[in-house]
Amino acid sequence: MSAFRLHNTGDQVDLQTVMTILLQVLVGGLSLGVLYAIVALGYTMVYGVLQLINFAHSEVFITGGIVGYFVFHALQDSSMNGYLKLVLACLAAMIVSGALNVVIERLAYRPLRGAQRLVPLITAIGVSLILQDTLKFVVGLTGMFDLSVTLPKGFTSPLTKFAGIDITSLNLQVKDVILLVVATLMLIGLNLLVNHTRLGRAIRAVAHDRQTAGLMGIDSNRIISLTFLIGGALGGLGGVMYAMKYQALNAYSGMAPGMKAFSAAVLGGIGSIPGAMLGGIVLGWVETLLGVVSLFSALPGLHWLSYIKAEYKDLGGFLALILILFIKPTGLLGKSSTEKV
Amino acid sequence: MSADNITAGAAPLLELRDVHTYYGQIHALKGLNLTVNPGEIVALIGGNGAGKTTTLKTVSGMMKPKQGQVIYQGQNISGIPSHTIMQRSMSHVPEGRRIFPQLTVRENLEVGAFTITNRKLIEQRVQEGFALFPRLKERETQLGGTMSGGEQQMLAIARALMVSPKLLLLDEPSMGLSPLFVEAIFDIVERLNREHGTTILLVEQNANMALAIAQRAYVLQTGEIRLSGNAADIASDESVRKAYLGDE
Repeated sequence: MSAFRLHNTGDQVDLQTVMTILLQVLVGGLSLGVLYAIVALGYTMVYGVLQLINFAHSEVFITGGIVGYFVFHALQDSSMNGYLKLVLACLAAMIVSGALNVVIERLAYRPLRGAQRLVPLITAIGVSLILQDTLKFVVGLTGMFDLSVTLPKGFTSPLTKFAGIDITSLNLQVKDVILLVVATLMLIGLNLLVNHTRLGRAIRAVAHDRQTAGLMGIDSNRIISLTFLIGGALGGLGGVMYAMKYQALNAYSGMAPGMKAFSAAVLGGIGSIPGAMLGGIVLGWVETLLGVVSLFSALPGLHWLSYIKAEYKDLGGFLALILILFIKPTGLLGKSSTEKV
Repeated sequence: MSADNITAGAAPLLELRDVHTYYGQIHALKGLNLTVNPGEIVALIGGNGAGKTTTLKTVSGMMKPKQGQVIYQGQNISGIPSHTIMQRSMSHVPEGRRIFPQLTVRENLEVGAFTITNRKLIEQRVQEGFALFPRLKERETQLGGTMSGGEQQMLAIARALMVSPKLLLLDEPSMGLSPLFVEAIFDIVERLNREHGTTILLVEQNANMALAIAQRAYVLQTGEIRLSGNAADIASDESVRKAYLGDE
């Protein structure tokens, strides 16, 4: 990762440099992690209520990014405040992705309620492919949406000061902080919604036992729709954040981050909301750390680290997944399904 | 023995007319006729597979009858989904309690009050539940799944009472409980009926217990009603005693 520099004089790497890199990993990994986390929530919430892995979520997610691109593009020459543009982009993306997810559930999954679990799973893969091809019409077969010009100018400025402290060495841009703040607020908001509201209790009740929830007067179909709406909207928001972070999108851009977010959900314990958040952050850190770890090969005794190239960083996340599932098959915060009857 | 004479004239709260319900291919209820009048405790007894649970499920909308009518408060509710029926002051404590194990005791009660939007009323009902079952108050913030079977049964009943139902369907409240808990649960059921006038349709394996608190009873056998009448009469019926009350 070129953003990271290590001033290496011969065999001596000073402690301060090491600390700086670790701090960069901590902050950079966290901002990537919360992005994975909000996308992972879409997988985990849907899994929670339907025990279905919604493979179409990666497309729902990137659709949000594409909507965000269109909003920024339309407002490119407007003198509107950059943050207001961002709010509009996020709102539009959340509405479109949320609605798309609701429609997917209504048309593709609901008719299969009560079918064997494999059937909706295959359907989900089918929906994912249909959406991918549909997005190709929007973006073009080999097309690429470039946000580097349309993104509000201030977003890519380097961040030099925070609370009076010089943080130039952290290599952060304004957009990284926006991402961190927006995603964190969303995670807190969702936590409040799920744990402290009537709707949240209904979602948890339906997730646990749809029939009994019905006996409580809860319309589980409505709750399932709402869950898809919330999950889709979070995915859409994640899409805008992704577009802002990487500034380039095509019809397939959802796949890799979608797969990682899914891994994050499994890593944290699929079906568990705090698990998805934790899994996302762990994945973000592991991936970021792996991207720079070869820099430490200059340290005495750690020469072998030079073999871990930055290109392997994607591998890191999946290795972490396998390792954690090996030790704890239900994921970090996943609960085993045994309970007193 | 005709059960209908006892309360002739009063409109029944619940009436099943020639109800046929199927479990896939299995004909579980074969033309059931049954009435529950306001203020009564009616016991439904019978052996395993007699159709007791299916009867309750058909009333609460968890299962749809293929034929016949379920009349509740004068309206035909057969085929209406359970979440709609449950908004009409009916509650169903299902077999096996089915509390939400990952929700706290308080949250379980709050989910039970889902159809109530007035927060004050919800809080009032939660407190009433705690008054009825002080044990639940002690366990307020504990996860439902971590409690004993008896406590879970209390929670299931308290949860069902959150909407202050006119009709309470109780499925095997004594199942798997220690005698002490069974006693406590039946006391509460009787009190609910006496003090709050709650109408109760009670399904019980423990026929002695059920007939002791019920005014009327139906004896079910393979989806059909074998006997019906005064609980006391049923309890003294020779054939019933032999088949269900453990007499040799």
